[in-house]
Amino acid sequence: MMAIAILLPVAAGFLILAVRNYYARAAVVVLTALILIANSVFFALQGPFTYTPGGFNWGLLITFLDFAILIFYIYIGFSLRNWLVLIFALTQLIPLAYFEFVMKAHIEVTPAFVIDHLALVMTLVISIIGSLICIYAIRYMYDHEHHLHLEKSKQSRFLFWLVLFLGAMNGLVFANNLVWLYFFWEVTTLCCYQLISHDKTEIAIKNAARALWMNATGGTAFICAIIYLYITQGGAAALSMQNIIGGTLQGSLILLPVALLCYTGCTKAAQMPFQTWLLGAMVAPTPVSALLHSSTMVKAGVYLVLRLAPAFAGTYLSTTIAMVGAFTFFATSALAISQTTGKRVLAYSTIANLGLIIACAGINTPLAIAAAILLIIFHAISKGLLFLCAGTIEHQIWSREIEDMEGLAEKAPLTTLITAIGILSMFLPPFGMLLGKWIALEAAYMVPLAAVFFVLASTLTIVFWTKWLGRLLQVLPKLRWPMEKLSSSYAVPLWTLLIGIFVVGVGIGPIYQNFLLAATNNVVSGNQIISLGLNNLVLTSSSILQTEILGVFPVWPLYLILLVALLLPLLLIGLKPTELRQVYMCGEQVGGTDTDEWLAEADKKTKFVLGGYYFQDTLGEKRVYPWANTVAILLLAIMIGCGVIVI
Amino acid sequence: MIKQFIIVIVTLVVAPIIGGLLFGIDRKITARLQGRYGPPIIQPFYDFFKLLGKEHIAVSKLQFVWIYGYLVFMIVSLLFLFMKSDFLLLVFLLGFAGVSLVLGGFSTKSPYAHFGANRELLQILAYEPVLLLVAIGIYAQNGSFLISEIFKQDKPLLFSLWPLFLAVLYVLTIKMRKSPFDIATSHHGHQEIVKGVTTEYSGPYFALFHLAEWYEIVLLLGIIALFWANPLWVGILIALAAFILELLIDNIAARMTASWMVRLSWSVGLILGIANIAYIYYSKGVS
Amino acid sequence: MGLIQTSRVKSPWILHFDNSSCNGCDIEILACLTPLYDVERFGMVNMGNPKHADILLITGPVNRRTARVLKNLYEQVPDPKVVVAVGTCASTAGVFHNCYNVLGGVDKVIPVDVYVPGCSVRPEAIIDGVVLALQKLATMR
Repeated sequence: MMAIAILLPVAAGFLILAVRNYYARAAVVVLTALILIANSVFFALQGPFTYTPGGFNWGLLITFLDFAILIFYIYIGFSLRNWLVLIFALTQLIPLAYFEFVMKAHIEVTPAFVIDHLALVMTLVISIIGSLICIYAIRYMYDHEHHLHLEKSKQSRFLFWLVLFLGAMNGLVFANNLVWLYFFWEVTTLCCYQLISHDKTEIAIKNAARALWMNATGGTAFICAIIYLYITQGGAAALSMQNIIGGTLQGSLILLPVALLCYTGCTKAAQMPFQTWLLGAMVAPTPVSALLHSSTMVKAGVYLVLRLAPAFAGTYLSTTIAMVGAFTFFATSALAISQTTGKRVLAYSTIANLGLIIACAGINTPLAIAAAILLIIFHAISKGLLFLCAGTIEHQIWSREIEDMEGLAEKAPLTTLITAIGILSMFLPPFGMLLGKWIALEAAYMVPLAAVFFVLASTLTIVFWTKWLGRLLQVLPKLRWPMEKLSSSYAVPLWTLLIGIFVVGVGIGPIYQNFLLAATNNVVSGNQIISLGLNNLVLTSSSILQTEILGVFPVWPLYLILLVALLLPLLLIGLKPTELRQVYMCGEQVGGTDTDEWLAEADKKTKFVLGGYYFQDTLGEKRVYPWANTVAILLLAIMIGCGVIVI
Repeated sequence: MIKQFIIVIVTLVVAPIIGGLLFGIDRKITARLQGRYGPPIIQPFYDFFKLLGKEHIAVSKLQFVWIYGYLVFMIVSLLFLFMKSDFLLLVFLLGFAGVSLVLGGFSTKSPYAHFGANRELLQILAYEPVLLLVAIGIYAQNGSFLISEIFKQDKPLLFSLWPLFLAVLYVLTIKMRKSPFDIATSHHGHQEIVKGVTTEYSGPYFALFHLAEWYEIVLLLGIIALFWANPLWVGILIALAAFILELLIDNIAARMTASWMVRLSWSVGLILGIANIAYIYYSKGVS
Repeated sequence: MGLIQTSRVKSPWILHFDNSSCNGCDIEILACLTPLYDVERFGMVNMGNPKHADILLITGPVNRRTARVLKNLYEQVPDPKVVVAVGTCASTAGVFHNCYNVLGGVDKVIPVDVYVPGCSVRPEAIIDGVVLALQKLATMR
């Protein structure tokens, strides 16, 4: 079972490399996807357990592969003449070599894998959403290469890395042995590099290298944390994650490695000032963006911080982590308003939501941790859906620019509908993302400055999402919008994720009560969310004297109202041809209702052009990066400082 | 259960009547301030029924979706207020209503609606942080986001949250579409970009927009009344006083630009809000 | 009269369109909205938007260019609507009827319900004309 989760994707990946036929390859991917999904559900039903693989010196294999990967990075650094990649590969290689050979560290950590409820949540997200994205990638890469008129197909390579990545992620969330976790972490970085640079254009390789060195700084911090723990705590017991968070180690001394590990998490989650690697990664094909850079790989970063939350509970480190996340949430939401490319908006929004999750981990109350887990799940679904929509749109209009998406509602009504629901699900009640944000805000008063940033960032998110959705809908008056045809490789993941938003959203009460509560308890004990009769979610405060009600969220009544308000008018209200009128343009239009020309001076026929608002003078990257990056670097420095100055 | 049902029915029926009368009083007082007689107080109801009787025309099917979204979510927010439920969720539902209106403006390729919708987004950007900070302020003071808790307190919220109250007056000006903030669309006689967000709406759907505005004014005045919830009639008087104040401001001020509005609201509104919450945090600690 | 009929009479919203007039009649129309004549007490509001209007107040004679604009605006006004031709130029083209670009009065392009002669029309006459139009509006569907 463990083998299926981790090794099956590896084997399937190699099989995909070998298969040349498009349909056979598709079959392998779909089969792997189905098995992974079934496996993860089986895991979830079975419940938590621990596992240590025997019979083979896995530790030796992992160490060997570690060095192989790092040497590969050094090779990349040399061949691209990229000194940053080279330096940060060396800063990992040398300490690792010291650790393995000089210190002759004998690492036998038992259990090697701990699968608790939090890990189960993560593996469900990875397996289900990741598999759907792989299915999407089958047809997407085919169209992608057709459009680029490539002679030699690279689809096998692409799908290999994509599927392999799923195995690495599963290993990452299961690992208890820090050294093994480091290995899986590096594999995800490697997959990230390979996938971003897939198109082998100059900019793709450059951005992949940037992703590589930024993540490598995180890897360096990881190695340093491992070595520090080994030396100060003496022995392999220090390298068990459960021991670190379980409080069996000397509390005051573990804050520094924990801070370093949180730094690693922040690099993987592209928090400020590392956001440029995620932005640069958007040049990659859309399945990469969907899988790695929104649903899954960056979740590894927040997963690490969330996992470590018990270790830094109640310290200043916790507060600074909350501030790092909250500031990123705010700054990247502001930046998203100025972006004209759809995928860059999605990227900034991803980083913003990751910042929110990290901030929740920093606030570190049962309510905040519950919010973090809910956000992880809902964000993975909604953002994965949105990236897939962005890819589908790109393959219909062959552009990624929002301005080119104007009037998409008449060219591709079905895609627009799915995208619209995806966008609305990111920031409006009653959808799950807002539920998570609502809980986070209700919990945020612990770190009031973080609460203020949440407030500002929430407002900013409204602006850029609504703006984008509006551009999609702007169509001249027309009655009939013919439905477009979507290939099933596109349609199945899109519809599944869309239905998933509603199913998980409406059922969140029971899902929380029966499953997610246990995951929250893995991090911090004490339940503050009660699911009442009519699917009301009631938040309670954790005061010892009495259980006060903090807030109430009626879940399915609001979904019902949503349906009544939006779906019924769409279905029931018709529009006859005689009722259609022109838009108001002071009477100067040329022809019928759907004309887009008007008569300007001297009766000159002029095309009617609208442009979106992007506020690039105030919110553009050039204006925001200088001060935002500075503040972010300061906050990170303070964060690591809080690990050193032990309070 | 019966009590809740009655509250719902009363809200649905009585609130728009009160709202419409308030708008009528608005026009009457504005007229008197301008030295004229002004229309009768029930004029908004004449407008409403006249609009209902107009021909059914539209520029896009999506218009219907978003105007119903605006109306329904406005009603839901009002119901949350009257059923004394979660204040933070109320603000988010109100946000959904605002977003629906903006998307209604975006639902066709119309220049004036486009400008209006973008400006309405800027208005949301200006007032939403203040409303969210009010929610946090209420939590800071009471330890709960529930409106029912506000009614159980001895001291009115106004004493401890007066800076936020001042900030809410800004919000009221923006949401009532009064000068200097009648930027996205405006009421009779004030036009800058034709009718902005509502340019392409006509007939029955424009009537729904007015209906939603009536619910909205009752909601906003209700939120202001919360600042003095015990006894409630004092709160209602304060709300009506704020309403009259807005009319005065409307007749004195000229329309300003959208960027000025956002900058003013973010600087003054945020400073008042953050200072207020910081003071409560440091004086009360965390419960 | 039913509720909706009464409301139509009590709440007539105006669209004021100037074809190519000398602005004399337009100034008189605006004068109606000022506190001296105050037509707003009858519920009349100048909405700048044809989709919100009931009564079209048209001034000036129709020429080739404004003909299509007028037609476009007229089609955007939802029923029931009434058209009031304000001024001699709007009624019959007045002193401009001989010009090469002038097609004639407003009724050359759209159906007119009320003609208000005058050059320029006095505000009292405009109000009289609108009242006549309202009487017609009350009898429509």
